[in-house]
Amino acid sequence: MIEIKDLYKSFGDLQVLKGISVKVKESEVVCVIGPSGSGKSTFLRCINLLEKPTSGDIWIDGEKITDTHVNINKIREEAGMVFQHFNLFPHKTVLENVSLAPIKVRKLSKEEGEKKALELLRKVGLEDKAHVYPAALSGGQKQRVAIARALAMHPKVMLFDEPTSALDPEMVGEVLNVMNNLAKMGMTMIVVTHEMGFAREVSHRVLFMDDGMIVEEGKPHDIFVHPKNDRTIAFLSKVL
Amino acid sequence: MSLLNTYINHIIQVFPDLLLGSMVTIEVTSLGVFFGLIIGTISGLGKLSQKKFYRYPSIVYVDFIRGTPLLVQILLFYYGIPGLFSNVTGKPLSFDPIFAGVIVCSINSGAYIAEIVRAGVQSIDKGQMEAARSLGMTERMAMKEIILPQAFRRIIPPLGNEFIALLKDSSLLAVIGVHELLKNGQLYISRTFASFPVYIAVAMMYLIMTIAISRLVAYSERRLGVSDRN
Ligand SMILES: Nc1ncnc2c1ncn2[C@@H]1O[C@H](COP(=O)(O)OP(=O)(O)OP(=O)(O)O)[C@@H](O)[C@H]1O
Ligand SMILES: [Mg+2]
Repeated sequence: MIEIKDLYKSFGDLQVLKGISVKVKESEVVCVIGPSGSGKSTFLRCINLLEKPTSGDIWIDGEKITDTHVNINKIREEAGMVFQHFNLFPHKTVLENVSLAPIKVRKLSKEEGEKKALELLRKVGLEDKAHVYPAALSGGQKQRVAIARALAMHPKVMLFDEPTSALDPEMVGEVLNVMNNLAKMGMTMIVVTHEMGFAREVSHRVLFMDDGMIVEEGKPHDIFVHPKNDRTIAFLSKVL
Repeated sequence: MSLLNTYINHIIQVFPDLLLGSMVTIEVTSLGVFFGLIIGTISGLGKLSQKKFYRYPSIVYVDFIRGTPLLVQILLFYYGIPGLFSNVTGKPLSFDPIFAGVIVCSINSGAYIAEIVRAGVQSIDKGQMEAARSLGMTERMAMKEIILPQAFRRIIPPLGNEFIALLKDSSLLAVIGVHELLKNGQLYISRTFASFPVYIAVAMMYLIMTIAISRLVAYSERRLGVSDRN
């Protein structure tokens, strides 16, 4: 489904990703954990080309997205992204937030787009908020809208960058719940998270990143119960 | 006492002229800011563009306008361009003063508005563009749907200030014979030599207009500026 090979990324002199190779299967849920500054966000952002890889190749569904002639906008339609700070459009209603891209990019009619948006909002439990502005939502609600907005483009993979770390603790559950449902429905997901509970219970595989490399990867049980690498052990002892 | 009466008489006499002049002032300023907003949006975005083809002309335009006096720009356009035209073609050319005034005011305010638009766009959280792009929107689409609508709300106050600045500066158009507020006052003075009361009246008219506009701006700011940040 997704294959990443020898991914390098530098910002000027700063080398942030130092040769990352990963394969993600269809319907697989992969969690990425690691200390701050290790390059987790950069890694995720390379997958939908919000950052341009310095070198290396990425395939999504057999298509090599790092080819220079691919249409970047098309690629981004395939990979939905959920951000730590939601990034909802504050001047649009919840319904408009979700239906905008399908209408503008996928060229659905307004009725169609809004009908689909309402369905998605129902799925994340926010149908009744369709006509309010994001400012009137709680953090957890905002993030659920952001998830619905990304899903509206029918992405092949969903990328989550610390989707719960800007939330008050009591709102983390509702967002993880939506993500859990998504996983059960077979969505392919790559999740950067500090929620070790989610990583342990929902993900199929955990990648531990440190200093721009994947230092250790394996089934959640193996990583959390029998970590092998010293750096993994040190990191887990701090967060668990 | 009789001096005061004379002054008041002059003000009453000149008032219709000043009112007409104010209309012209507002008309020229409004058109100037309207076209300036179009020019300023294009060149403000141009300054932010990755492409030199858009960026360099925008930079040159903005620097030239902001680095030269409006009075010189007015004279250059009104006298200089027709002069050049007749030197090159041998045919005469002359502009209608109001037409020239609107053009120069548009070009002038466009440069200041370009900076306002640029700052407004830059003030929008980077996450907005990223979210839009991550949904497959093109940069142009994201600008139009997401960034500019938010930026425009935010630049209403500085746009209001630009409007006020241009309203005052449009008095310079008196030198090319635009019958705006100041010019109408001067015409009356040249007939009556009543400079003190008339200039005071002219000043008051500008003051009333600028105060009214800043109130209007503050009001629309309150209406639109509802805290809609994430
Ligand atoms: N656009 C950029 N320009 C320059 N440096 C950057 C840029 N983006 C990220 N970096 C740097 O790259 C490094 C990795 O950043 P990244 O955001 O990928 O880390 P992270 O693992 O997501 O950290 P966190 O857990 O704090 O989110 C950091 O040192 C950061 O300062
Ligand atoms: Mg990060």
